[in-house]
Amino acid sequence: MGMESNWAAENLRVIRTLMERSAVYRRELAPLMLLAGTVGTFAAAIGWFARIESPRAFVGYWLAVGVLTIAGCFLLLRRQALKDADPLWSPPTRRVTQALLPALVAGLVGSAVALLKVGAADEKSANVVGMVFLPPAWIALYGCAIHAAGFFMQRGIRLFGWAFILGGCGLFAVGVPDLPGPLYAHGVMGFFFGGLHLAYGAYLFCTEKRKKEA
Amino acid sequence: MNPEPFLRLDRVIHEKGRLAIMSLLAASPQLSFTEMRDTLNMTDGNLTAHMRTLQETGYVSVTKAFQGGRPLTTYSLTVQGRKAFTIYINLLEQIVQQTKSGK
Repeated sequence: MGMESNWAAENLRVIRTLMERSAVYRRELAPLMLLAGTVGTFAAAIGWFARIESPRAFVGYWLAVGVLTIAGCFLLLRRQALKDADPLWSPPTRRVTQALLPALVAGLVGSAVALLKVGAADEKSANVVGMVFLPPAWIALYGCAIHAAGFFMQRGIRLFGWAFILGGCGLFAVGVPDLPGPLYAHGVMGFFFGGLHLAYGAYLFCTEKRKKEA
Repeated sequence: MNPEPFLRLDRVIHEKGRLAIMSLLAASPQLSFTEMRDTLNMTDGNLTAHMRTLQETGYVSVTKAFQGGRPLTTYSLTVQGRKAFTIYINLLEQIVQQTKSGK
């Protein structure tokens, strides 16, 4: 009878594990991270060399980069779903999207308001809001979005989210640097949205490849 | 210990592979064939055989559609299947509880 009980408890544990695994998002993230990182890095370089220096242009430019990156990631996901003969809009995908949305919408609305308001503000205030405060806010909000989605994804994603949250908060804490506004702003965006994504994408690329080979 | 709960366990669900399939489907409104095959590391033939048994019992329903010109087969638990799975889990918990309480 004791054996029956052990077996029942073990079965319940296996069932719980499988139910949890069923709800987890399993698409390959490495290509998405590498795409986001590449776009982020190039966008920062282009933003700097093209001298996108006014706060309004900076906010509009990075919003466009964000939309472009999301569109690219969507196409990659669609391709993965077609290749694997899986539904694109699967329950885990829906959960991840729902988790991402609140923080991303907050960032989008904040940016849209900033875009409208910085034109009317004096130059110094516009620079501080657009080039100094918005980038860390975007970074921290993006980290919150990633962290929330991480509850339905592999565990490492939440740590990745924390890197953005702490990075964004750290930038707020450090305050306004001596660097010229555009260099600082594009540099920060390039480091976080470019460099961090590329680094994590490279890590995932190696680990996902190893898992496939195992 | 009362052996009755053990004897009442649904034999269709009780099989290891089918129990795993039912567990996955219980946590998700629908899953594709490939998602289940990859998660459970089953062969196509093995998974097909189990799915057929579960369909014949009325525990699982199948939907066939096309996505991007390719066939897409998805499965979900029927009301009957969800009820049978809940009963199965309750019986397992009863077995564990009986041992804990020393009956």
